[in-house]
Amino acid sequence: MSIVEVKNLHKTYGKVQALKGVNFSVPKGSVFGILGPNGSGKTTLLGIISDILKATQGSYTLFNQTPTATQRKQIGTFLETPNFYHYLSAVKNLEIAAAIKQRGTNDIDNVLEIVNLTQRKNSPFSTYSLGMKQRLAIASCLLGNPDVLILDEPTNGLDPVGIAEIRELIKKLHQQGKTIIMASHMLDEVEKVCTHVAILKKGDLVVTGNVDEIMANEDIVEISSDNDAALQKAVASIIGCSMHKNNGNTIQLFYPIGTANLTAINQHFFNQGVVLNHLVVKKKSLETKFFELTN
Amino acid sequence: MVQLLKIEWLKIKNYTAFIVISLFFVLGIVAANYMVYSFKKNIIDKADPIGLISSTSPYDFANVWQTTSYVSGCLLMLPGLIIIMLVTNEFTFKTHRQNIIDGWSRNQFIQVKLVMALIVAFVSTVLVVLTALIFGFALGSTFGVNHIEALGFFFLKALTYNLIAVLIGVLVRKTGFAIGIFFVYTCLENFISLLLEMLAIKIKTNYNVDTGNLGDYLPMNAADGLLYFPKTSLSKITSGLLPTDYMYLVLAFTIAYIFIFIYWSKNRMETTDL
Repeated sequence: MSIVEVKNLHKTYGKVQALKGVNFSVPKGSVFGILGPNGSGKTTLLGIISDILKATQGSYTLFNQTPTATQRKQIGTFLETPNFYHYLSAVKNLEIAAAIKQRGTNDIDNVLEIVNLTQRKNSPFSTYSLGMKQRLAIASCLLGNPDVLILDEPTNGLDPVGIAEIRELIKKLHQQGKTIIMASHMLDEVEKVCTHVAILKKGDLVVTGNVDEIMANEDIVEISSDNDAALQKAVASIIGCSMHKNNGNTIQLFYPIGTANLTAINQHFFNQGVVLNHLVVKKKSLETKFFELTN
Repeated sequence: MVQLLKIEWLKIKNYTAFIVISLFFVLGIVAANYMVYSFKKNIIDKADPIGLISSTSPYDFANVWQTTSYVSGCLLMLPGLIIIMLVTNEFTFKTHRQNIIDGWSRNQFIQVKLVMALIVAFVSTVLVVLTALIFGFALGSTFGVNHIEALGFFFLKALTYNLIAVLIGVLVRKTGFAIGIFFVYTCLENFISLLLEMLAIKIKTNYNVDTGNLGDYLPMNAADGLLYFPKTSLSKITSGLLPTDYMYLVLAFTIAYIFIFIYWSKNRMETTDL
């Protein structure tokens, strides 16, 4: 079952085209990252599936059904900014959210504990720091233990400990079988937790799919040697390598996926009289891939 | 709907401005009526012993429903203010988005605000009933229901003001700006209404066509125009010169405006980006 499926979504603001026909589907149980530079349409996309923005064209489904307010009650969503009544405390704000979601209030203490806000639970929201507001917004999403969470830049404004805590929380929720849709421009964050990604660029969907498939379209072998000149010479005669790149201290060899054989590579250089002091298969970082796709 | 209203109550019960303005309104109704009462008793009655302006007390049961409705009607900006704040707060805190994200439909969101406008109008009317009863009995007059329809008109006026407040709230969204527009609009409408009234008098004297008071066909003034201070000898003398009050026409306008405001507010919330 797909949790969310968007079909040919378009959104224009005056002359600006924020989304230009985006299609993708979020499988159940995935951690689905929506990536893109600032202004690429991430929040617009999530705004449409939360019904606070109206699509200019196209449609979407939630849980394979025509979307209604009832389905939104089963999704914990945190969009763009923490939105709470400033004059009310954390507990009173969560009581309102729980009532709208038609869930009981007995969960409130529990979710406040998860995000470490128990001590300040009775202070007015207006007295909270940015990080605390962010935590409260995440607590609100967790109310009633929903099976699907939509998080827009969840680590914004959090300190490094807070960021790590949220990452652990997302991993834990994923292990519990929950589906998490997360928009972010923090690529290392996404790389650490996501199973699937969709990359947006100026309103176009550049690529979507399984993280491993998107990242691993080639094997990269990194090598170096004390004898640089001999290494350079030996690289020229290596077989099977599609291209190589000199990075100063190291050389990167690119192979079609699944064809890099470290033993054979080591043997080749040894035969040429070059002794390697570094030989490793590198996974391409999401960041590199992201720049490749969005530039 | 009960469930929606319970949630609305959670939002407002700890909101200080709501409590303060509500208190002002309650005290204001009592104070304004008392001022009119004491002005009539201590100043007018002494200056007008033959009863040209009024021979009986406006707070006698013969007049009290009309008087309290009219006098209290002048304070209806205050509940309007409460409604504006309840609506624009949501936009300020962006909780209008969160309520919908959390699982309200856009329709439910605007519906509960419109019903709040209705409830506040109803509570205001109940306040007027209590004030009228207190004054009527305090003056020792015999209970009567002469011109009690004024209560209904007061309710319609309160509802009109509150619905204008909801509409301005959803159109303007910013609290200060919305309150400003609410006040400016009120003044502007009164001014235009005055010009239209003069025009109506001119038409009546020059062409002998009685259009009714044209000023009363504007939204707020239609609601205002339903309420009068009890008729006095003086107003009976001058009424020949003024345009007729086509009360049913004004009432029809008021009800039509109420539907327009409801439709416009709903349409706005249901179709735009939030």
